[in-house]
Order: sequence, then structure tokens, then C-alpha cells
Amino acid sequence: MSGAVALKAAYIVTWVIQLGYLAYLLSRYRRVREEMKDLKRSS
Amino acid sequence: MKSVIWIFVLITIALLGFGLYQGLVVAPTEQTMGDVQRIFYYHVPSAWTAFLLFFVNFIASIVYLWKRSAGSDAIAVASAEVGVVFCTVVLITGPIWARPVWGIWWTWDARLTTTLVLWLIYVSYLVLRRFAAGSQTQVLSAALAIFGFVDVPIVFMAIRWFRTQHPSPVIGGGEGSGLDPTMWHAVLWNWLAFSCLALLLVMVRYRLQRMEETVDAAHAQLALQGGGR
Repeated sequence: MSGAVALKAAYIVTWVIQLGYLAYLLSRYRRVREEMKDLKRSS
Repeated sequence: MKSVIWIFVLITIALLGFGLYQGLVVAPTEQTMGDVQRIFYYHVPSAWTAFLLFFVNFIASIVYLWKRSAGSDAIAVASAEVGVVFCTVVLITGPIWARPVWGIWWTWDARLTTTLVLWLIYVSYLVLRRFAAGSQTQVLSAALAIFGFVDVPIVFMAIRWFRTQHPSPVIGGGEGSGLDPTMWHAVLWNWLAFSCLALLLVMVRYRLQRMEETVDAAHAQLALQGGGR
């Protein structure tokens, strides 16, 4: 692996991990919020 | 309150962009390694951010054992999970940097091994939180977090205590160590950006944890009401 490829790979991997985690959190957040709304409706 | 959070989101995005610019454009090219050394500007700030988050987890776990407050437990979970994310970045960017410089992806030296152990400790913590049932889960995980944190200073000191493949410390490493001021700026800007991002992620994860607790309590209440009929 050349230095330039390694540099690009490292920066891209960092962004993918950070943004991927943020997307995962937001999707979980939306799901729980929906669940809370359903519980409020049913109670 | 919402507008304050959005301003903070915008500041974080701006800092991440500025940090990227500092690391890729402003910082000078290192003489021995060349451009691949610029991985340093993401690798090191990610490690420092992970250490900071594990420290928050350590304090929150102590507070939980002392006060038994749900808030401190939620902070502990949130900081551990985000800390694992940043520690994962460290463990992946490290080998990507090592391959062109050392000729190998990985070696079992003190710094690398203790970092992997650190990651495994906090992954175990999260697995415990996810799969253990019962009222003692929070107490057990707090105890694991307190003892697990012992590995953080060991990781930090590993390159000072042992002869390792990993480079000697360039920051606070004594005589002959040090960084060009422009390189310092790139490290510190990226650390600030990653710390702001980590704070945002912890805030979202904390809120999520509290909401999940509310939902679980509501489900338990409904089950009790249903069972009572």
C-alpha cells in the first residue's frame, strides 16, 4: 500500500466510522421516539 | 435550547472541516515518512478523545455507585459507547499507517496490545449492558468500568515504560522529542473538532438511553396492568 493510498484510506475510514455511528444513533432515536408516541396513544 | 444545539452542530462541522484543512494542507510534510504521516492528525486526536471519554465513563461509574442515579449511569453508557467508536478509529488508522511505514499491519508490542485490550474491555462493558438482565447490571458494569479504566494510563505509558515498535512519544517525551508548531496546531484543531463531535454524540446517546428507559418502564407498567386484569 502506497503512502497516498494509506492516507486517503485512513481519513475515509475515520469519516465512515464516525458518520456511520451518527446515522445508527439517529435511526435508533427515531424508532424510540415513534415507540414513545405509540405508547402515549395506547395509554 | 434547540437553536443552541444547532449552533453547536454548525461549529462542530466547521471545526471538522478546518481540522481536515490543517491536517492535509497547512501542516508541513514530514521528512522521513512523507504524506502518510498526516494520518497522525486523525490517529492521535482520536486516541486522546477516546481516553477522555473513558475518563468520563470512569467518573460517571463512580458517581453511579455512590448515588445510584440513572443520569450518571446513562452518561457512563453514552461515553463508553462513543469512546469505543473513537478507539475503533485508532485501531484501524494505526495499522493503515503502519503498513507503508513498518511494512507490517500489526505487531504485538506493548502499545498496540494494551490499546487492543482497552478496546476489548469497553466492548465487554457494552456487551454486558446489552445482554445482561436484572437489577445488578448497572452495578456490575460500573465496577467493570472502574477497573477497566486502569488500562488507560497503561496504554499512555506503554511507549515510555517499554521498548516498542510504536514510535516514542513526540509529545511530552522528554529531550529530543517535539513537534513543529504547525503540526501542533493541526493536532490540537483536530482534537478540538473530535471532542466537539464526541460531545454531540454523547448528548444524542444519553438522550436515547433515557428515552429507552422510559419506554421500558412504560412497557413494564402496561404488562403489570395487563397481568392484573
